[in-house]
Amino acid sequence: MRRAGPEILCGLVSVTVFLLFWEAASTPGAWQLTEVIPPPSTVLRRWSELLWSPDYWRSWTVTTSRVLVGFAIAVVLGVALGLLMAVNRTLYGIAFPTFEVLRPIPPLAWVPASIIFWPTQELSITFVIFLGAFTTMVINVLGGARAIDLRYFQAARSMGSGAWDIFRRITFPGTVPSILVGAEVGMGITWAIVVAGEMIAGGGASLSGTAGGLGYFIWTSYVGSSFPDIIVGMFSIGIGGFLSSAALRAIGKLATPYLRQR
Amino acid sequence: MTAQEELRTSRWALVRYRFALWLRSPRPYLMLIGFALFLLLWHLAVEVWRLPRFKDMPGLTTVVSAWLSRNPTFDVSIFTPDYYKHIWISTERVLKAFALSSLLGIPLGLMLGWWVHAKRFLFPLFELFRPIPPLSWVPLSIVLFTDPEAPIIFLTAIAPFFATTLNAMLGVESIDRNYIRAASCLGANQWQIFAHVILPGALPYVFTGLEISMGLSWFSLVAGEMLSGNYGLGYLIIFSFMNIAYPNIVIGMVTLGLIGYVSSALVRMTGNQLMQWRVRALALA
Repeated sequence: MRRAGPEILCGLVSVTVFLLFWEAASTPGAWQLTEVIPPPSTVLRRWSELLWSPDYWRSWTVTTSRVLVGFAIAVVLGVALGLLMAVNRTLYGIAFPTFEVLRPIPPLAWVPASIIFWPTQELSITFVIFLGAFTTMVINVLGGARAIDLRYFQAARSMGSGAWDIFRRITFPGTVPSILVGAEVGMGITWAIVVAGEMIAGGGASLSGTAGGLGYFIWTSYVGSSFPDIIVGMFSIGIGGFLSSAALRAIGKLATPYLRQR
Repeated sequence: MTAQEELRTSRWALVRYRFALWLRSPRPYLMLIGFALFLLLWHLAVEVWRLPRFKDMPGLTTVVSAWLSRNPTFDVSIFTPDYYKHIWISTERVLKAFALSSLLGIPLGLMLGWWVHAKRFLFPLFELFRPIPPLSWVPLSIVLFTDPEAPIIFLTAIAPFFATTLNAMLGVESIDRNYIRAASCLGANQWQIFAHVILPGALPYVFTGLEISMGLSWFSLVAGEMLSGNYGLGYLIIFSFMNIAYPNIVIGMVTLGLIGYVSSALVRMTGNQLMQWRVRALALA
């Protein structure tokens, strides 16, 4: 094993150099390149102010709960449909081509249709988030089930296993790693979608009068041209996405101890 | 018959044989049942039973008749030049963004994978920006560029750039170090190692990255066009929504799906053409 020391040091150096460059390029003076982007010092000062503002934290909870609800439904339904299609050939033959035809439609193209269909904006944003993670889950679960060595099934069948035993002992445990990968990718997609969904659909703030999530926070900051807030919002969403992916990775490691030796 | 012609005939015969085999399996019929079920349910739920939430949605016959009409109510059908203008502008934007992200991402990724110092210094910065969703760049990109086209292309290029770079880097790292050692033992210089070991070795990952990138370009393009722009399929969808021209929403969605599918298939086919050795290895396995 190599030591991690120099890696961290190099990382710190490059991030510091980048921040210095950004500071110089955005403060008035000989080095100034842009007048619209605020320097990092201004962004940090604004961020420390926002940390005490309840509205900022409400944006966090609104977005996080949307992401978690849409994601949870997508995982449950996606794993169920993926496993059903992996087990039943007829269902796979009927449902998979239709699924493949609908899949290339970008999730955000569903936003208007979803607003028409669902009675509240909350539901329509959640639905679009769900869609993005759902397709990823189904594809990953199916791919995982397909990748299981055929000889396991043959061995189990020749020793007299029934369909349920094969599912419980081979198909399901064999698919767990790809379920986890799908969940991680899907989590990234949900964070990407929630921002745009909140920007396009207005975040529900106009209706309910409460804070409308981090995407909406960015959008209102843009409309009110408070640029430090935009950057705070961008990094906040980045942190949210990063933390949730890291949490999923940790859960995945706990759930599949048998993969650790590799 | 030359060897080239022989190869072509045998390939064509293989395609025909596979197609005949496919027709004899239950798959094409199940597929048709699936499509028919989906379309029937859509038609019944919206236009026949008029279920509570479904009845506001555009129905199957409304959409199809609007799409194929010579004189459409909402000005968009296969006979109107506007429809093709939307398609062409979206395609052009995606192609520009895809080219931009590939031209920047592939060299950067190869460099990060090949040169340890580059990775040490640049990768932390890369990882700092990667978790920021591409679409949260919308306001900044609108403010940064004065040209009206540039923000949409910039926005569309962000997500593919990260995917392409990361995959190219992983591609270089996936190469067995012994190949590189063997090449240097046999007297290859750095450039020869790069051209004959690194580049072909990373190619499968690079093309996986490019295929993902193509999908991501369409994904971000739609959002970019919905928020700023005055042409393109994303704009068509949001504009039709605001003007209650609901059939056009579905026309826009289906068109996006079709073009998205074709563009991903084209990237995959180019990859297979360039990596014949890999196609054969996979066919034997």
